[in-house]
Amino acid sequence: MLHLLKIDLKKMTSYRTFWVICGLYFITLGFTTASGMEILKWIASKFEDFGSSLNVNRIPLYHFPDIWQNLIWISGLFKLVLSVMVVISITNEYQYRTLRQNIIDGMSRFEFILSKILTNLLLSAMSVAMLLLIVMVTGLIYTPELIFVDIFTGVEFLAAYFLEVFAFLSYALMLGIFIQRSGLTIVLLMLSHMIEAIIKLNLFRESLQPSIGWLKQFFPLESITNLVPLPFARYAFQEIQDHVSLVAIAIALGWAFLFNYFGYLKLKKADI
Amino acid sequence: METVLSIQKLTKNFGKLCAVNQLDLEVKRGQVFGMLGPNGSGKTTTLGMLMGVTNPSSGSFTWFGEPATHLTRKKIGAVLEHPIFYPYLSGQKNLELNAMIKGADSANIAKVLDIVELSARKDDKYRTYSLGMKQRLAIASALVSDPIILILDEPTNGLDPMGIAEIREIVKRIAADGKTIILASHLLDEVQKVCTHFAVLRKGKLMHSGPVDEVGKGEETVEVMAYHDDLSILLQEFIGSGTIKKENGVFQVMMKDGFHSQDLNKFLFEKGIITSHLITKKKTLEKQFLEILAEAH
Repeated sequence: MLHLLKIDLKKMTSYRTFWVICGLYFITLGFTTASGMEILKWIASKFEDFGSSLNVNRIPLYHFPDIWQNLIWISGLFKLVLSVMVVISITNEYQYRTLRQNIIDGMSRFEFILSKILTNLLLSAMSVAMLLLIVMVTGLIYTPELIFVDIFTGVEFLAAYFLEVFAFLSYALMLGIFIQRSGLTIVLLMLSHMIEAIIKLNLFRESLQPSIGWLKQFFPLESITNLVPLPFARYAFQEIQDHVSLVAIAIALGWAFLFNYFGYLKLKKADI
Repeated sequence: METVLSIQKLTKNFGKLCAVNQLDLEVKRGQVFGMLGPNGSGKTTTLGMLMGVTNPSSGSFTWFGEPATHLTRKKIGAVLEHPIFYPYLSGQKNLELNAMIKGADSANIAKVLDIVELSARKDDKYRTYSLGMKQRLAIASALVSDPIILILDEPTNGLDPMGIAEIREIVKRIAADGKTIILASHLLDEVQKVCTHFAVLRKGKLMHSGPVDEVGKGEETVEVMAYHDDLSILLQEFIGSGTIKKENGVFQVMMKDGFHSQDLNKFLFEKGIITSHLITKKKTLEKQFLEILAEAH
């Protein structure tokens, strides 16, 4: 297993595009999540009304335990950048035909896709590690009264985040294997949410809503989004789901498995 | 001799097109096996199936007497069609990757780079290499695991005469090491110079398979010239003469079975004729190849 991961990383670590995209991903991810409070303070200092009508320090954006869901939801938006890297990595193998040579050299098709999946797992784990660090540091800075139990309330969102990133990267990998061209794959990847929304809109007209509305959560991209629900409505005194739903985890896990399995089936049957 | 590769009724259909049709073939250890055939005769498709990148429609094959898996492929060094490498990696890094996949000792890399004379350029990116260097790197990658078998598909394609000579030298050197080599080519001269055995494919069917030495056997043609007016009549008197043709003032005598140029020379000498030009012409692989293909029509 480790050997396969090393092979895939060796392909990537001398590839400048890899460093540029991963660098941009981790820098923007880190900067955005870590600096939210400072930006709010800056806005407050610029607009007097804003500051006087609302005490910025009293918005618990960065307070344990809220901070987990808040920052993790924001981080989820950045996974598209990482998935572009995954698409480039797999479509390059088709474009340069190196997939063919890898097989000739003695990799099995299963080993090949496993090496890509392992890299996806590593990238997901690195995203989680980055988030853990940022949440811990900013949470400790901004939380006015630290209560030990609060710090780890909501830590389960990290697990949901890991699955969210991994499932989406699996989706990108599968798309790359089926389409094989980087440009087209990236465009389709970016439009996926919209395409799924259109399909749902047409399927679930209002008359049908009560009877089959529950099916919505089984759609692949929706299942990924459902892992970490949008938290900010709670600051407008609305009810939100502030925990990870096990059903959502199960559905997303199912899709993550299927994405990789479909990719493998396609790879297995193809003449390359 | 130990059988290295055995193919039984291997078939590949691409839709309606039958690229490889019920192919049977055996390659034994130590052979330098040439696969001949016009473009599109199914050579690369066959090799693709043997190397696991093309799924056969039916039939089977065994490497070393066992059904093929990805593990058997690690023991084979193969380059199909064009050299394939990561363009943004250096030659050295590409070979390191090949070695990792094959589970080969990375200490071999310096050695194989030396064999193909690329050591000086090993740290340059692959995309900066000339075509000849790319082909040589491909041979290096096939050699990196010190394989028992080497498969080369058109290794001299697109090279200049010097590049062709270099590759030929490399192949000869490897063959001298006792490795089994399967060489697909449409350059007949190439195959005749380096191969011990050959097979001819046409439209996916095996037309012929046998040792290269036998190509020269059988009927022999002798070219004769002498300053004598009645040479043509005398040649017809010789009991070993088959058909006689005159081309550019030189007689081409097709010998009957069991007769050779020395018999003809002796006959003419006894008649008091001293030849000024006498050449034994063995059949070339090219001629045999064209005959095999012509028979198939």
